Amino acid sequence: MTTSADTHCPYCALQCAMTLKSPAALTPAVQPGSDPVPAPSAPSVTAPAGPVLEVSGRDFPTNRGGLCRKGWTSASLLSHPGRVTEPMLKGSDGVHRPVSWDDALKLVTAAVKDTRARYGADAVGVFGGGGLTNEKAYMLGKFARLALGTSRIDYNGRFCMSSAAAAGMRAFGVDRGLPFPLADLDGASTILMLGSNVAETMPPFVQHLQGARDAGGLIVVDPRRSATAAFTSDGGGLHLQPLPGTDLALLLGLSHVVIHEGLADTEFIQARTSGFEALARSVNAFWPERVQSLTGVPADLIRETARRLAHGATKGGSYILTGRGVEQHVDGTDTATAAINLSLLLGLPGSARSGYGTLTGQGNGQGGREHGQKADQLPGYRKITDPAARAHVAGVWGVPESLIPGPGLPAVQLLKSLGQPDGVRCLFVHASNIAVASPDANAVIAGLRSLDFLVVCDFFVSETAAEADLILPVLQWAEEEGTLTNLEGRVLRRRRALQPPAGARSELWIMARLAEALDAPSTYSEDPETVFEELRLASAGGLADYSGIDYAMLDRGEAAYWPYPVGSTGTPRLFLDGFAHADGKAVMTPVAPRRRRTPVPNPDQDAKSMTLITGRLLEHYQSGSQTRRVSELLESQPEAKMQIHPAAAASMGITDGAFVSVANERGEVLCRAELSTAIRPETVFLPFHFPELESANRLTEAATDPISGMPEFKFNKVWVRAAANGLQHSVLQASEAS
Amino acid sequence: MSEQIVVVGFGPVAARLIDELLPAVRSGLARLTVIGEEADAAYNRVLVADLGVGRTTAAALALSDAAALIADGVDVRLGVRVRRVDRARQQVVLTDGTTPHYDRLVFATGSRPVIPNLTGLNPDPAHPVLPAGVTALRDLRDAEALRAAVSGGKRVVVLGGGVLGLETALAAAEEGATVTVVHNGPHPLGRNIDRGGGAVLAANLRNCGVRMAGNARSTGLEHNAPDGGFSALLLDDGSAIDGDLLVLSCGVRPRVELAEGCGLSTATGILVDHKLRAHHEPHIFAIGDCAEVRCPDPSCSECRTARGPSGLVGPGWRQAEWLAEYLTLLAEGSAEAAAEGAGEAGSAEAANSLPELPMEKPGVIVLKARGLNMAVAGDNAAEPWDDEVLTAGAVDGRPRLQIAQWADPEHGRYVKMTTRGGVLEGLVAVGMPRSAAELVSLFERGDELPADRSLLLRLDGPDQLAAAANTDPARTVCRCAGVSGTKIADAVADGCSTVAEVSGATRAGTGCGGCHSDIKDIIEKHFQAATAA
Repeated sequence: MTTSADTHCPYCALQCAMTLKSPAALTPAVQPGSDPVPAPSAPSVTAPAGPVLEVSGRDFPTNRGGLCRKGWTSASLLSHPGRVTEPMLKGSDGVHRPVSWDDALKLVTAAVKDTRARYGADAVGVFGGGGLTNEKAYMLGKFARLALGTSRIDYNGRFCMSSAAAAGMRAFGVDRGLPFPLADLDGASTILMLGSNVAETMPPFVQHLQGARDAGGLIVVDPRRSATAAFTSDGGGLHLQPLPGTDLALLLGLSHVVIHEGLADTEFIQARTSGFEALARSVNAFWPERVQSLTGVPADLIRETARRLAHGATKGGSYILTGRGVEQHVDGTDTATAAINLSLLLGLPGSARSGYGTLTGQGNGQGGREHGQKADQLPGYRKITDPAARAHVAGVWGVPESLIPGPGLPAVQLLKSLGQPDGVRCLFVHASNIAVASPDANAVIAGLRSLDFLVVCDFFVSETAAEADLILPVLQWAEEEGTLTNLEGRVLRRRRALQPPAGARSELWIMARLAEALDAPSTYSEDPETVFEELRLASAGGLADYSGIDYAMLDRGEAAYWPYPVGSTGTPRLFLDGFAHADGKAVMTPVAPRRRRTPVPNPDQDAKSMTLITGRLLEHYQSGSQTRRVSELLESQPEAKMQIHPAAAASMGITDGAFVSVANERGEVLCRAELSTAIRPETVFLPFHFPELESANRLTEAATDPISGMPEFKFNKVWVRAAANGLQHSVLQASEAS
Repeated sequence: MSEQIVVVGFGPVAARLIDELLPAVRSGLARLTVIGEEADAAYNRVLVADLGVGRTTAAALALSDAAALIADGVDVRLGVRVRRVDRARQQVVLTDGTTPHYDRLVFATGSRPVIPNLTGLNPDPAHPVLPAGVTALRDLRDAEALRAAVSGGKRVVVLGGGVLGLETALAAAEEGATVTVVHNGPHPLGRNIDRGGGAVLAANLRNCGVRMAGNARSTGLEHNAPDGGFSALLLDDGSAIDGDLLVLSCGVRPRVELAEGCGLSTATGILVDHKLRAHHEPHIFAIGDCAEVRCPDPSCSECRTARGPSGLVGPGWRQAEWLAEYLTLLAEGSAEAAAEGAGEAGSAEAANSLPELPMEKPGVIVLKARGLNMAVAGDNAAEPWDDEVLTAGAVDGRPRLQIAQWADPEHGRYVKMTTRGGVLEGLVAVGMPRSAAELVSLFERGDELPADRSLLLRLDGPDQLAAAANTDPARTVCRCAGVSGTKIADAVADGCSTVAEVSGATRAGTGCGGCHSDIKDIIEKHFQAATAA
């Protein structure tokens, strides 16, 4: 058994390097139990003192030895008493009880066969996650298409990266979150961050903003004065605080200034881009004063931002970075496109010291979107509709091309189809907590309950697992081998530091057994390195080409940035010589704001109509299924709080810490209010890490971007009111129901 | 079978309409002809003054590309005018002798500058020929004239204290010209602004180097320049203001003569209903500066209080977007009706169910200028101490008007908020960019203002930019690892004397590193105290 392993943090895409050490003679404390697993609403049962592994930060170019609280406390989950360590089957009384692996696999096999026979192969669906290793993500795509024979596979990355990915593909012909090493930011004099709060989401990242802050050139666009925006004070830079939902207009205004003030890099535009004339015409209507009226950002700040970016591009370097705040909209692809257009006007991409990037969120949000978990995609970032791509992958898999199904449904549509006629009747969920993290979560939960069979692979009884007919216990990060691709497109090794609990299995093992039982064509190895070798072949020649990478090289610490074809040394910086379109040029696509639909009228006279934005807290990750089980994190942020401006709160009689109701036509959240001048007066903020009454995604709309399928998370109309009575009422109802 | 749409005029509003109709043109649902009298396709007229002072280029002003439109199948006719509209035959008669047919005709003829009646100016309103050295700053050629004056450091006289005149004056002054604004009344912007705001605005303009000649009545022009061009503007008090270029900025008037000529109802503009249709003429529409929304129904309460055309481009663009959707639905209806052999009457169902465009709020005026920030909107006439403001109770169940005002003329700052029931009916903000931006967006959304109105003034204060320094020792110093100042101080007291040691003992400073200087401060404070003791 290993006593020390160099690996990376289990959480976000920064993938901070860490070392895990087992204290001498310590064995895993987890005992397989036969008691029903505690209900997910009470995750306050937390780890006993002393985790089984000690965590320490490790020097690495991205985190430079730093970790945040999530990373420091990550090992406490390994011995958490709520860990699922045996397959759990839901009885007719709704209680999950252990079953043997043999029985569990037989049940799944029977459910798949039965569903297929009755409704066809597309009635079986798979929902993956951006936390899966490259090997598991790759195998999940293969398993779905060959073993299950379904086209219905998509993943939670659709909720994170799809808009920026679609915009990157459209403009550059390829999508790698940061097309340059993160440390390149250190030398920049100007960094424009749009809708990204790295100070909370990936704190060690902030080290790379120091150079820009010292130069007074950190420019943060956020409707809230977030922790990241606060870094712009004291001469660090500028904070632009647009009305929610107006980022696109702001970006068009910046491009307008760049063109009209002669700040554009005409040589670069001429030589390396196409579409300039149409773009120039399209931004013409967005002069700064008009944009001021649309966004609430003063015209002079818009001009100054454009000038600083242009100045930085010629001195020191300028970067434009986007995050979920501007991407998670029904016009997210167009907004990311507008950010890319701005960067192209300034000649940033393709330069060695300037650029555009999107900050990938989930641990393997980059690798997870490259190897076939997406409905429209095959390994190596290949299009599933491309005959050559299909032929190549079919060749690697040793199956006729016709056996690979066509494109399926993107996540929101997939979830909407649950239990519907011609929809999915039997669903596999991996590395996802869709009951909390999906838009219109109430509808998703209803969909899950309408399924014939739901299998959830997880190591805790997440809110989604609680709905499952069958929970299959899987491994945590410190118990497995594999690779992940971080936000820079660098492939990293995840290494095992201790033995998993006896009853837990890798998804690779589960897929291999099920494929066997289903008489699936091709092979399904349960060994990560063997799977990676296959992934190399499958990705060869694709956009995300991993064919030149192997475990030995990664274990030597080599910095492997894709594309890394055999015989090359990888690609730390994309676009230096050309973009990935056939003519080598980047494409500027004109975009414009679309009219919003009229919101449903507020039926509650006591409530005030406001705009809801959702986001994250430093202490929690994604749906909180893991971090809510870490006592240190839960104590620090035990519940969702609705952030509201004191002036807005005063007009509704809401005081700090008082209960509020936040509702709309989709659902209601009951939580405490937190008064803060860091938010605009017409806007409220909710973190989405919490379930049930505090679940922000009960309010978000499942409306999607027409290009990427990204849902609208950051601009929803809600009705807010003080809720002392309402809360008691609802809590009573809830406790009666349970 | 596809519908023939003809657009008369090719300005910014027409350009928007055409862009929005392109999908229908590409799909073959509609055929589109656009007629522009200038030789250029649509360009952004709003920025002509910027072009005139050399702040942008003619190329950057383009809103449409004729070649691209033609490639998309649009019939683009430039440098040609409509002589008349033959409604009986549903065709337009052009100056080149052609007579294109229309199923739907859209007037987007815009407006033309008002040429004041002064001696030495040709007053033909339809086809003014201005003397040398005089421009109305409407098109690209006018911009050229201004450009020459500004780059030569010449003297520019702006006649008119409206927003366009002020923008031109400010830009020209900033770029090196000597500029005088001649206007009626005690302050510029006339009735759009109140007395206090107008006074602060005028003072700010002077600070920007613009000479202001208020309460002035001009009577004529002197043409004593070497080329026989403009040399001075004469005022009724017998004085003269010398200059090399006279910019006329006396407002605009909708171009309605074509519509009048074919018998359509007009007032200030071409009268249209809530579907932007000319009265009693389902085949003809009007949008933008030339259109006046006032429906034929005398009981319509919205139209009773409607103002004429705003002269602003924003409302015109919204009309263009709406009309494009409506015309597309009409074309779809016709295509379906043709396919089913049904009559036209039953085919407009989808189009008629399109929600009508809401009436525009009174226009918001935001001064486009570098050195001076100003926004006004709505009605700002009431003053805080007016009798009716102080005494009138709720009228017809409506809350009464309330005024909040703040004036700091010394520093060029002024804000006035006129509200009813907490919602803005008028606003003035001078020299307060953040407040202006916030108030304009509140005005446009019709949202209620915070009860503490001073919140809206403080947006421009430095305290909004920097978080107030927090000196509470128990505060969280390291957010990444969640370590309090107390815990760090304890670690220092226990012997940690460097940031690295504190990090090792407490994890503080191990995330983003942003708190290293705070940790250092705590260490230094500890040892200073120790030394002092």
